[in-house]
Amino acid sequence: MDQIITAVVAVVGVPLVLLGYIIGGEKVMERLPDRLQGWARPYFWALPAVGFATIFMVYPMVRTVIISFRNNDDTEWIGLANYKYFFTFPDTLTALRNSVAWLVFYTFFAVFLGLIIAILVDRVRYESLAKIAIFLPVPISAVAASIIWKFMFDYQPPGTTQTGTLNAVLATFGRDPVAWLITGPFVNNAALIFVGIWTAVGFCMVIISASLKAISSEVLEAARIDGATELQIVRLVVTPLLWPTITVVGTTMLINALKTFDIVYVMTNGAYDTDVIATRMFSQLQSSHFGRAAAVGVVLFIAIVPLLIVNIRRFQQQEEQR
Amino acid sequence: MAEVLARLSSQAKALGLGTLLLVVACSTGGGGTSGGGASTTDVTVWTAWGGDELKAFRDVLKPFQDSTGIKVHLTTNRDSTNQIANGIAAGTDLPDVAPGPTDPNLVKSWISKGALKPMETILGDKFNDYISNTYPALTTPAAGQSDNPYILVVGGKHYALMVKTQVKGLFWYNKKVFTGTAPKTFDELLGLNPSQFGGAKSLFCAGFESGAASGWPASDQIDNIIMRQSGDQIYTSWIQGKVKFSDPAIKLGYQTFLKEVSDSAVFGGRNTALSTNFGKAGDPMFNSPPGCLFLEQATFIANFFHQNKGVTAGTDFDFFAHPSINSQYDGNVNGFYDQFSVYNDTPAARKLMQYLATKDAQQIWADDGGTLGAIKTLKYKDPIFARAAEIASGAKNLLVTAGDFMPADMQKAFWQSLLNVTRNPGSLDSELKHLDQVQAASYATS
Repeated sequence: MDQIITAVVAVVGVPLVLLGYIIGGEKVMERLPDRLQGWARPYFWALPAVGFATIFMVYPMVRTVIISFRNNDDTEWIGLANYKYFFTFPDTLTALRNSVAWLVFYTFFAVFLGLIIAILVDRVRYESLAKIAIFLPVPISAVAASIIWKFMFDYQPPGTTQTGTLNAVLATFGRDPVAWLITGPFVNNAALIFVGIWTAVGFCMVIISASLKAISSEVLEAARIDGATELQIVRLVVTPLLWPTITVVGTTMLINALKTFDIVYVMTNGAYDTDVIATRMFSQLQSSHFGRAAAVGVVLFIAIVPLLIVNIRRFQQQEEQR
Repeated sequence: MAEVLARLSSQAKALGLGTLLLVVACSTGGGGTSGGGASTTDVTVWTAWGGDELKAFRDVLKPFQDSTGIKVHLTTNRDSTNQIANGIAAGTDLPDVAPGPTDPNLVKSWISKGALKPMETILGDKFNDYISNTYPALTTPAAGQSDNPYILVVGGKHYALMVKTQVKGLFWYNKKVFTGTAPKTFDELLGLNPSQFGGAKSLFCAGFESGAASGWPASDQIDNIIMRQSGDQIYTSWIQGKVKFSDPAIKLGYQTFLKEVSDSAVFGGRNTALSTNFGKAGDPMFNSPPGCLFLEQATFIANFFHQNKGVTAGTDFDFFAHPSINSQYDGNVNGFYDQFSVYNDTPAARKLMQYLATKDAQQIWADDGGTLGAIKTLKYKDPIFARAAEIASGAKNLLVTAGDFMPADMQKAFWQSLLNVTRNPGSLDSELKHLDQVQAASYATS
């Protein structure tokens, strides 16, 4: 019963309270002198949003930072012990190494392939069909994508029918099957990153393609008249014009790479040295090492902040250009 | 405003409730903390069961609800330990009845906070019957000890009611292929020549893949070795983090385990064992020619054989108990159990627990199949479970599965170490050294 009451109160009550705040507040506002009204109204309207953001975003962030310097029961300050654990323990170092691999290869290939495909499909008549094909993996949830690829990577004993697509292909050429998710540390990490790229290329392509369409055809014609080859046009005209978009897409991919969790969790759960930072954070949480988990979270946060700033700046620049 | 509302999480809603209570002063009382009071008519129960297990539990509850008129509000919750921990910390509502914690530290902490209620009071005058009816290994700490947090006995009191159990470490075989007698010792088992039995390709089948929990089937195998090779004392101390992984006893366990999964002993080689899901691991036993002679797995696997291969327990396949390794430790059996603890001592909760402790209730579980009850004298239609019940009765110690009672990151590292040494046996020493590090870090409380 209690839960039902809570639900009803939350669904009906909270909007009512906010409505009351606005209507009641506006009534008070109207009685204020004009100059004061103009000054106070924005603060008044922004207050609920700022309040919610403070309670649900700023406060947890501050708490996370605090917890990262405290023991598990949150009763004692323990200095940098949790950070020391993060930067010295072999498991987290492996996770860091893998996360760097994700950062570099996932981001590079997702953006690079997205760019190439966007430019190529721009020049063919079946563009939308090709784009749909590339974009299809994007709406698939990472968990489903991981399961699909688990089947693709499936391994059966040598000499028996291979049910995994990749090993079936190898078998037709008379090669022994490869245990894709087990052979490490290169093959399995590459396999996981590949799945990540597969789910991300479509997104990069769509964004880059949209901004490609915005390049005016006059610029390209001018380049052609000046005698530029198609390759030169792509390299010297199109790509520089796309740079702001590529940066935004790239930083988004970098953040995705840092946050990678689901693909690794579903496909290997970090076995055979495939852990990444986020899966480490999760396993620390699971074993009630809240301090260490918070420290991982803070490191991840610090790593992402500069990217966010770049991203937001670029975005603002783009907005200004319009 | 829509955007603001969209950000509301469930916590936000609870907070919104607080705001509204201030404004409207409505009559719901103290919000989340009010609780159901000492109900005589309703009882809330959480369980991790789903599917057939949940259906069986509903069958068990039906006569209780019909005869007492008490309504059982059943919720499947696979995260109950965390949620109850949060509930205890925040002082919010707890379910009346739910599984007790498995982590010994949590058991002690919750008892000290009064969150767990002793069965001595809950069962009242039925308590002595419960103890005498139930497998001793599930209710009685080892001789000379008053506590065993793994079965939730602390300070001589019982904080959980055992309802179901399973036996692990059984060697399953195809009756048409393996016609010999069950080997008495582990060396005898390893010495069998598979090709003598219907031209089987290898001695063992194995499948260690299980999604995010990959490695647990391998951990069952090594658990069953260590408890029979070095005894229950070392085994239990090792679970508690008091014996290192590099300890000679544990290392010997790993080395013995590696004999079961060498390229020559395991069907399809090591990569096959690592890539195969545990549920399909035994299928090659029923191929022609058979892929292997034996699969080591718990009682539940019989259902998988039946589903995958259409074979019947008793006529097509059977099992023998884990052979002895050191005769001194015969009678150490690996099992797991399902239990319920009481978090709110209400009349309805007491009645439910008293009912679940009866033979009538547990017989319904036994009849629905797929599990052993916790009571010794249940009747099993399924020959597999009838024999498993004999093994459980004969157990001197029913020992828990190691990984399940280690801290979560220790468990993960332990499981994955078994995958790693299977993949590369040469890495054993470095793996054990690494496990020592994880052990030191994960058992630390801060």
